[in-house]
Amino acid sequence: MVEFRIRRFNGDETYWESFEVPTRRGMTVLEGLYYIKENIDSSLTFRASCRMGICGSCAVKINGRPKLACETQIASVGNKIILEPLDNFTVLKDLVTEFEGFFAKHKAVKPYLIRSDVSYEEPKELIQTPSELRNYYIFTLCIKCGACYSVCPAAATRDDCLGPAAMMAAYRFCADSRDRGEDARISIASKDLAVWRCHLAMECSEVCPKKAEPAKAIQLLRRKTAVNAIKSILRW
Amino acid sequence: MPILDWFKFTNRSVYSLAFAIQRITGIILLFYLCLHLIFLTSLTDRTGETYESLIAVTVSKQFLLFDILLVLCGVSHGINGLRVIVHEFGFVYEYRKVVIGFAFFLVIVAWLYASYVMYCLVGG
Amino acid sequence: MEESAKSVMEPLAWIFQLISGLILTLLITIHFYLTHMTSHTALHYNEVVARISTPYYKFFYIVLLFFVSFHAFNGLRAIILDTNFGARNRNSVNAMCYTAFIFIFLYGTFLVIIL
Repeated sequence: MVEFRIRRFNGDETYWESFEVPTRRGMTVLEGLYYIKENIDSSLTFRASCRMGICGSCAVKINGRPKLACETQIASVGNKIILEPLDNFTVLKDLVTEFEGFFAKHKAVKPYLIRSDVSYEEPKELIQTPSELRNYYIFTLCIKCGACYSVCPAAATRDDCLGPAAMMAAYRFCADSRDRGEDARISIASKDLAVWRCHLAMECSEVCPKKAEPAKAIQLLRRKTAVNAIKSILRW
Repeated sequence: MPILDWFKFTNRSVYSLAFAIQRITGIILLFYLCLHLIFLTSLTDRTGETYESLIAVTVSKQFLLFDILLVLCGVSHGINGLRVIVHEFGFVYEYRKVVIGFAFFLVIVAWLYASYVMYCLVGG
Repeated sequence: MEESAKSVMEPLAWIFQLISGLILTLLITIHFYLTHMTSHTALHYNEVVARISTPYYKFFYIVLLFFVSFHAFNGLRAIILDTNFGARNRNSVNAMCYTAFIFIFLYGTFLVIIL
């Protein structure tokens, strides 16, 4: 039996509650949560969907570090599992936090290919070599779980800070050889709520469940923004 | 207070620790800069009395501990700053473990050496 | 022009923060070595005044002061802008930090010149 100690929120007050969960080898923290919901307390609320680490819904703080509940083995955590909702997000209920702001920031960096020469009437094949793909492939792995945002020290103290996931998405498209919208994204990245809030804590890369290296993407985006700024000065 | 999240040491990697230390030492050194300039204003007393009276307190065996801590702040801020410069330009990010280990080692060596020399000079 | 000025200030401040940091690791090491690691008497009044009277030291101190005040107050600016207070009052924070940098630099330079 393993103790699940969960920080709960019912809309008015925050409180801790413990549950004893029978476990077997191979069981994940998410399975433990489902056991509690199905057998002990059906009011326990958490997000989950794919159960296989691809949707990004089940990110929670497990013993102080944000992880995907579906990818964390109970055996690897220990006999006492402390679960809390992600930091830097407003808690709605129990382990569920609001994500609208996070998704809005992601949307703000225009995370799609921008080209003026493609149309549905005349589709055009966009060729990309394997080496061009390798330049940005790792940054495409983001599942928008929010773990990086929850550990970012800038996001902790500044609400409008874009956060690692959005900036990594911005760089992913800037580095994509098929994209022509770099100017639009760089103008967003050069605001003080974007890359300039990163001071290399690098915690985002340490907690990313997909090992997508957001900290590296932000530094490369910063370099691109600075080079762009210098070029714009020289053009005056 | 949200600002205290900058200085979280539990459940954080060594890189976050380095960031927190960089921020704390930066604030300490900023205060020290202002204090240093106020201190040096005492040099305008051409007799030298004000300055010598301040030096008698701050350059002494009793103050050595503060001096050593200040040197630790300065050395760690500087060497960690060099690590930050290298990574913020996007270089050797893949080797960040080695870089931070080496930086930490350099901080300890430089600090111990500077502290030892200061200790000898103050008559210890 | 105003839009471009806004968008180049942050990258330029960042680049100069790194450059000043790099230069400061050298200058502060030299400064610390000369004052704390050479002799027992390096910090006595007469020796300090003798150093600060020579043109080479005056130049060294003014350069050191320039980089250190920029680095310190730009760093403070970055810290304050990391907060919601800084986000709401961005222009005031920028103005106050750069004013503080100029004031500290001018005050220190004044001290170096008159001593």
